[in-house]
Amino acid sequence: MNVNNELKQQSRRDFFTSSASGLGGVALASLLQGDGVLRGDEANPLTPKFGHFAPKAKRCVFVFLAGAPSHVDLYDPKPVLQERHGQGLPKELTDKVRFAFIKKESAILMGSDRKFRPYGECGTEFCDLLPNIGSCADDIALVRSMHTDAFNHHPAQLMMTTGVPRFGRPSMGSWLTYGLGCETNDLPAYVVLSAGRGSSGGVSNWTSGFLPSTYEGVVFRGDGEPVLNLNNPKGYTRNMQQDSLGLINSLNRVRLEKQQDTEIASRINSYELAFRMQKAAPELIDVTSESQETLDLYGVDRKEPANSNFRGGGANVYGQFSRNCLLARRLLERGVRFVTLMHASWDHHSNLSAEISYNAGMLDQPVAGLLKDLKRRGMLDDTLVICAGEFGRTPLGENRGGNKQNTGRDHHPYAYSLWMAGGGIKGGQVIGKTDDIGWAPVEDAVHVNDFHATTLKLFGFDHHRLVHEFKGLNVRLTDQGGKVVEKLIG
Amino acid sequence: MRKPISLKNPSLYLIPVCVWLTVLTGSIRGQEEQGQKIDFAKNIQPILRASCYSCHGQDAQEGGLRLDNRARALVGGDNGKAIVPGDVDKGLLLTLIKGADEDLGRMPPEGEGTPLTENQIALIENWIAQGASWPDSADIAIASNHWSFQTLEQPELPPVKQQDWIKTPIDQFVLARLEKKGITPSARASRSTLIRRVYLDLLGLLPSAQEVEEYLNDQRIDAYQQMVDRALKSPHYGERWGRHWLDLARYADSDGYEKDRARPHAWRYRDWVINSLNADMPFDQFTIAQIAGDMLPEASVSDRVASGFHRNTLHNTEGGTDREEDRVKKTVDRTNTFGTVWLGLTVGCAQCHSHKYDPISHREYYQLYSFFNSINEQDVSAPTLAESASYEAQKKQHDQAHEKLVAARVKYEAEQLPAALEKWLEVDANLVYQWRPMDVTAIQGKHAATFKTLEDGSILVEGENVRSDIYTIDGRAQKLTGIRLEVLPDDRLPQKGPGRAENGNFVLTDVKILARKADSEDEFQPLNIGSALADFSQSNWEIAKAINEDLADGWAVSPEIGKRHVAVFQLEEPIALEGGVEFRVILNQQYETGTTHNLGRFRLSHADFDGVLALEGTPAEVLEAIQVETRNEQQTNTLLSYYKQLDEAYQQLVSAEKEHADKAPATPGTKAQSVVELATPREAHIHLRGNFLTKGEKVETKGLDVLPGVATKGDSLTRLDLAHWTVSPDNPLTARVTVNRVWQRYFGRGIVETSDDFGVQGAEPTHPLLLDWLAVDFRDNGWSLKKLHRIILNSSVYQQASAHRKELAETDPENELLARQYRSRVEAEIIRDLALDASGLFVETVGGPSVRPPQPAEYSALTYANSAKWQTSEGDNRYRRGMYTFFQRTSPYPMLMTFDAPDSNVCIAKRSRSNTPLQALTIWNDVVFTECAQNLGRRIVTEVEASGKVENDIQRRIYHAFLTCLARRPTRHEMTIVSKFYQTQLEQLSKDDQGAKEVLGESPMPEAASLAETASWVAVARALLNTDEFITKE
Repeated sequence: MNVNNELKQQSRRDFFTSSASGLGGVALASLLQGDGVLRGDEANPLTPKFGHFAPKAKRCVFVFLAGAPSHVDLYDPKPVLQERHGQGLPKELTDKVRFAFIKKESAILMGSDRKFRPYGECGTEFCDLLPNIGSCADDIALVRSMHTDAFNHHPAQLMMTTGVPRFGRPSMGSWLTYGLGCETNDLPAYVVLSAGRGSSGGVSNWTSGFLPSTYEGVVFRGDGEPVLNLNNPKGYTRNMQQDSLGLINSLNRVRLEKQQDTEIASRINSYELAFRMQKAAPELIDVTSESQETLDLYGVDRKEPANSNFRGGGANVYGQFSRNCLLARRLLERGVRFVTLMHASWDHHSNLSAEISYNAGMLDQPVAGLLKDLKRRGMLDDTLVICAGEFGRTPLGENRGGNKQNTGRDHHPYAYSLWMAGGGIKGGQVIGKTDDIGWAPVEDAVHVNDFHATTLKLFGFDHHRLVHEFKGLNVRLTDQGGKVVEKLIG
Repeated sequence: MRKPISLKNPSLYLIPVCVWLTVLTGSIRGQEEQGQKIDFAKNIQPILRASCYSCHGQDAQEGGLRLDNRARALVGGDNGKAIVPGDVDKGLLLTLIKGADEDLGRMPPEGEGTPLTENQIALIENWIAQGASWPDSADIAIASNHWSFQTLEQPELPPVKQQDWIKTPIDQFVLARLEKKGITPSARASRSTLIRRVYLDLLGLLPSAQEVEEYLNDQRIDAYQQMVDRALKSPHYGERWGRHWLDLARYADSDGYEKDRARPHAWRYRDWVINSLNADMPFDQFTIAQIAGDMLPEASVSDRVASGFHRNTLHNTEGGTDREEDRVKKTVDRTNTFGTVWLGLTVGCAQCHSHKYDPISHREYYQLYSFFNSINEQDVSAPTLAESASYEAQKKQHDQAHEKLVAARVKYEAEQLPAALEKWLEVDANLVYQWRPMDVTAIQGKHAATFKTLEDGSILVEGENVRSDIYTIDGRAQKLTGIRLEVLPDDRLPQKGPGRAENGNFVLTDVKILARKADSEDEFQPLNIGSALADFSQSNWEIAKAINEDLADGWAVSPEIGKRHVAVFQLEEPIALEGGVEFRVILNQQYETGTTHNLGRFRLSHADFDGVLALEGTPAEVLEAIQVETRNEQQTNTLLSYYKQLDEAYQQLVSAEKEHADKAPATPGTKAQSVVELATPREAHIHLRGNFLTKGEKVETKGLDVLPGVATKGDSLTRLDLAHWTVSPDNPLTARVTVNRVWQRYFGRGIVETSDDFGVQGAEPTHPLLLDWLAVDFRDNGWSLKKLHRIILNSSVYQQASAHRKELAETDPENELLARQYRSRVEAEIIRDLALDASGLFVETVGGPSVRPPQPAEYSALTYANSAKWQTSEGDNRYRRGMYTFFQRTSPYPMLMTFDAPDSNVCIAKRSRSNTPLQALTIWNDVVFTECAQNLGRRIVTEVEASGKVENDIQRRIYHAFLTCLARRPTRHEMTIVSKFYQTQLEQLSKDDQGAKEVLGESPMPEAASLAETASWVAVARALLNTDEFITKE
């Protein structure tokens, strides 16, 4: 089955007509029969669909470390950089590069405080801050040759999440839910869980762009109750709530008929989903059914290190992030298509050593826990896990905040690392290589659009053909570029 | 919609494509004559054009350097001057083209083009040596042909065919384009839709059921215009449009960052915005007041409050914050906000490097920044008008009463005081005494301190300052009734003393007075000190503690350091011995926890007066006036003023006066955040890569080169000049940007879709002529926003139906041509307002401090843990408009955030608008909306009188509910389904008394219906509040 034509035809106009006759009516009807799942119902925009070929991945967790972690401190060991700590840029680079603003005499290489060691049978090297992730090395494909087009956070984040460094395009999760629908009717297809402070890209990182808002990410709260207002007000039984839903959406459908606006269809969707979430979410959020061993695997009860001092962007970020990782698994188990785990405090212009130690401490155990948990539940094979920032950081030192010497690193779009695991990824390998100081890829350079093309392929899509017609153009996640990195796929 | 490259700095930025063409033309080749005058246009410019302009010309200014424009070439780049006329040893140009500095490298870059030939380099060198003459004729002006930078002129109205559709000139522009495409506009919306649309757009509130009925039945030909005019007069207009402005002003009630302290005065600025809009303050004044109200000649309180615009930045009070860094961040934010709000430019992109797309260099950014670089923050007293009026009234009353008391005292002074003085002189004048300076016979300390007697008889303690010294001072007298200790400031002491401790303090833990017969060898006998008094005592270190038995406490004087203080110790019994008294004063300073809290300079006196001893004895001039035979006038006056203190009747009058003065009405405590300009401006520098520590060249205060220059009447350009320039006819941007934003609020998208970016990367206007027409009309007609609203609201374009049209889905999916109105879910605050309004809970009050409506319990617990305590407001303050909800930046009110309210950290010209199940859960289940539903349900019952016919009552109530919530009558189908729903609820609730009670909540039971009936109406109300239509402007 070729979803391409179907998708192309499914313009906003088709969306609302199908919703009007289908989603509203049918969803409600099935709901009235109990918890009937709308599998196979073509009228529901979130009905599960298939791509252009057999998918290897069915669902995705995207751990997005906004602010951009340093690749040379976490993933890409550079002995030469260590040796040349404190020196100027090497001759072979100065011959090639020009700086707009940094004067060459002040450009000083900064070695990493980290020690690297090989992990697993594959021997992939990770830094000493990531022993748990390292222990999953054989499942991980580490890409050391990423590069991007934008060097400021917000555009670069949009580049990572929507494929272009500008506003208005659908995010990766939106594309996937648009293309594949969702395996659950009780939870949003696309959920965002955030720990600590927000990212500079904010909501534009999970927007549905020009796609209907049914496909946008739904943000669960990072702190306290993940979803507020789940309970009916006092006195309303579930029956009455269902009656209420019935009346609200009947009235909304009358309106949709008259106004023909897809937003009304999205609203109908939202209410139906909200109603089902009221039942599904408390069970989802309640982690008491998890064994203590599992809770410990993720570090849910971990304490924040002393003097955390809002380093991770808020109080108790360790606890939040751990719980988010566990919730991610629970969401995926229940059929959610795409989960974004946001953490946005990786912009280490200064005090890198302390800050990245803190952050890696937050990251390492829960993410590794997630990988292990997915694996033992047999879910890792068809769950793609991605861990990435929006760019890398300079091998050069930088000082901010009045420090006397270099203690941080600046933005670096020319090279960075990310890793992927599960979902058809061939683990236990390193893709690409950067030069001696981690400045630029020298082998198998992977552009952000290549990463997107590969991700889409894992989900069964030819990235050229997963398109949406917008203003007369066939728009796609990979914009004008993108080639699949076949080496990544197992 | 797109956003600029964000503001944070890029990093080492590789010059991407520096194609250095080295073209040698025949005319240059071979021209080597040294002495000959080099012709710039003929010899130099071609080299620059061929080899440099691609990176240093109109299209790109790498490193901030531009070589095509004389002024800019001579100013140089981010790293300094490129050309110094007449001096070939200075300036980076020659260094770079010669490759003379290994570290800097060579220009043009290797691999990007052939280096300049020796000949060419020599030519440039000679040209510089000869003074770098650059004739006007060869100068290329800094200009841009980008549409938004062009002068604003009113365009002609385009011809249209369908003349009867034209209500305002707006229609003509829109219709002309539609006709060209062969599209007919949509029909006019129904009256119901129109009144609701106008109310939502202008006021963010619902028309009442009565207002709807009246309008639906208004037969006048101008019923619509009348309705618009009525709405424009409502004070809620200022709230609705004020909130739009607050998005731009990044208004919040707290500082942001980790500490996120509350801003108790922030609301005063919000009130100013609301009041100014309600008064239709011309937008030019509105602008000037906010950019530089504090600098206006004789700036009013209102002007200063307006300048609080600049105080809405984040403010970091976290420990360890670099204050200068925080100030720079704020200045950057002020510059960028100015750029977005008034210029519609993403100037912030040039903060770290020359703008990638717009003709704004890195240097120009800091020139603009310089306008905001001399701001200091200051809170000013800013009573509201009501507060001022009430204060003035109370003060007047108080002043009148006070005058009477003053008159009584004056009268007593004139008529009775002199007689009383005479009587006193006869009877009591012998009650005068003097403190006699102590004639010190011996003095010593416990340690090695040395004592130096100064001219005034005081003693300065010098030498080693050891903890807990004890000074022993001996003296003589005929009779002794008390001792006075004066502790004195001295420049030689720390903090000027009077103590020797580092902070200038001392602690006198104990005072003892002993005595023996003069010239005897008797033991000194201790005397009992009856009482002690002092002019000042440190809190918890009262003078009485110097005469108790406890050595752990004592008398001290912080924070009144560096001043004279006096203590008096009166003996219980006087001592007088034949042959005189030899007495000893022991000043014990055993303050063990302190270090060196010993006295530094002091003077002792003694008295022989038997009465109560005071700090000061009778002044010498008074004694003299009493003793002389005949007093002169001055002496009489001296006596009078001395005696006044002793006259009881007089003192009573004085205290009455003082007591009354203390009751004077307090000046209103309301303050406002404001700014002031430094008298001496701070120097501004380029911050290389946006890093405030890496200062580049100093820059002057100046506008953007691509726009007409900013003028000044003074010596140098100021923020006030910038403010005037912003609204001057020269500036092509402000009017365009402003009318575009207003347009955006009415039609969902601006004529320029990127309402925050009128630059090269921004969207082209869909109706450029319309935009200019509106901008000129706005600017030339007194900058009146209300006029602008009226012209839009009265247009046919605005009054169209909003239904989507299938036939336009392909050709105009985004409705750019405006063949229909735009329907959209209303903003977060307005959703709350509508629910309150429909329920009747809405509180009309306009303005005032922020309030804390209820929020979900689980969230309150959270914010409390984060130390921002949410004390839910009581009474009316629970039901204020959404815009008055206290905005705590780090834990904003969740309902607002669920519906996409901006986080208020930066200026926002356009909100995003999501549609999620979390929104559904909020209106369905949130405590505020539940309360609204309860009240709306009750309203439906009480406002429709029961007729006794059940079926009829139900229909009338549904009708009333629709009119109240949706400003329209229900259709028959809607009537049927709502009625059916009501019956189902009634059936369930009739069987569940407890449930019905809970559904109704605190809301009082109406008489007109049963509990189950009323609760069922609450359920109906709740469903209506949750319809898409309720929260949508159609």
